[in-house]
Amino acid sequence: MKEDVKLAKWLEGSMDENELREFMASPEFETYRKIKDYSAELVAPQTDIDALYTKILQNREPKPVRKLTPWFARIAAVLFVVLGVGYFFYTTQTTNHIAAAGERTEFSLPDNSTVVLNAASEAQFRTWNWDNNREVELTGEAFFKVAKGEKFDVVTPLGTVTVVGTQFNVKAREGRFYVSCFEGKVKVSSKGREIMLTPGQSVIFEDGKNIAEPSADGTQPGWIVYDVAFKKEKLENVIAEMERQYNVDITLPAGTYSLYNGHVKMNDLKTALQQIELSYQLKSVREGDKIILTRE
Amino acid sequence: MKNFSVKGICEEITFSAFFKEHAKSLRNYLYYKFGNEEQAEDVTQEAFIKLWQNCADVPPEKAKSFLYTVANNASLNQIAHQKVVLQYAQKNTHVHTDGHNPEFLMEEDQFRVKLQNAIAGLSEAQRTAFLLHRIEGKKYQEIADILGISVKAVEKRIHCALVELRKQIDNIR
Repeated sequence: MKEDVKLAKWLEGSMDENELREFMASPEFETYRKIKDYSAELVAPQTDIDALYTKILQNREPKPVRKLTPWFARIAAVLFVVLGVGYFFYTTQTTNHIAAAGERTEFSLPDNSTVVLNAASEAQFRTWNWDNNREVELTGEAFFKVAKGEKFDVVTPLGTVTVVGTQFNVKAREGRFYVSCFEGKVKVSSKGREIMLTPGQSVIFEDGKNIAEPSADGTQPGWIVYDVAFKKEKLENVIAEMERQYNVDITLPAGTYSLYNGHVKMNDLKTALQQIELSYQLKSVREGDKIILTRE
Repeated sequence: MKNFSVKGICEEITFSAFFKEHAKSLRNYLYYKFGNEEQAEDVTQEAFIKLWQNCADVPPEKAKSFLYTVANNASLNQIAHQKVVLQYAQKNTHVHTDGHNPEFLMEEDQFRVKLQNAIAGLSEAQRTAFLLHRIEGKKYQEIADILGISVKAVEKRIHCALVELRKQIDNIR
């Protein structure tokens, strides 16, 4: 290894004396000596260093621009996307409540208004900006006890109910939009028609027409205590209500029936069926979830 | 080493002094590397501009190393080495020239030409190290810093350069 750099040591002047003496005696020494001497006379081509400096000074402008370091930009981008997506989901996120057939659900809205969902119904609302946008989308039937405040809307496919601090029932099923007011004032609008309800009043729209304005007795709808009053109701609708409440399948023999007036128990299937059987001279056979009504 | 002010090389006086101290060496080094004056000057200019732009981030003691690093990196993109043409200084006439016969003088001139050609025929690595020592008068340690290699490696290159030069000059195959 030492042999490899011998000449470098010599050129540098750091070769030890013994080696140097030996080297100077060697035949190739003369050439090396000349290389050393003559190479010292060499110069690089001249250049105008001052001109170069002037060029560099001209290039110093524009002053160094501090760039946003890439990691910062990356974090900012990720944050932007995450916040953006988060904000989007937060503002558009809806809360859903569903009551299946034969079940009920009670829940609170952000302002502590309470809603009782009747069987086979669904309610949906947005928590974000609730105070300025109190709106519940409803399909089916529900009883609302609304806290005092600004406008409160219940939007159904059949129409909208607008209220200020009140208790009312909304039923929107099979083309029939039935609203009862128990407290406060309720404005019902359906297909361009509007009607104001005061406590004790109800309104029924069917296919966009105001077909009846029965009274709303008591302080809450009958279904809350499993006792539903029907007034001049088609038997098919009564049966449909029973199917929802008891989560059963009821077959009614074809034919025309007189309108039903009266109460139907919604927590006692046997009694409820007996009421229907007595009123219409029918007989029932039960097989599991299926009930078949036949004429006597 | 000169002492630079606390504000560092962003100060124009400091930058200018630093330039005067290192520009020529850098340019020559790049010339030995490329064998092309224009290329050497372009890269020198580029390196100093980079230094100027980053003056706030480069402490004065690191400026030289920064300069050569930038130059070496920029060199990676450079190609096409031309023949390195070196001149002998005018005052080269040896003291002992007087009194020598014309034959000796002619031999001397012949040797100079042979040496020029032999240097041009060296590999880039050997030539650069050899000329930094012979012309720029750099110590092996400085050369090692400039090239980013160990002193041992510099010594090896110098040694091999010498062996190669003698082979060329003495026509040994």
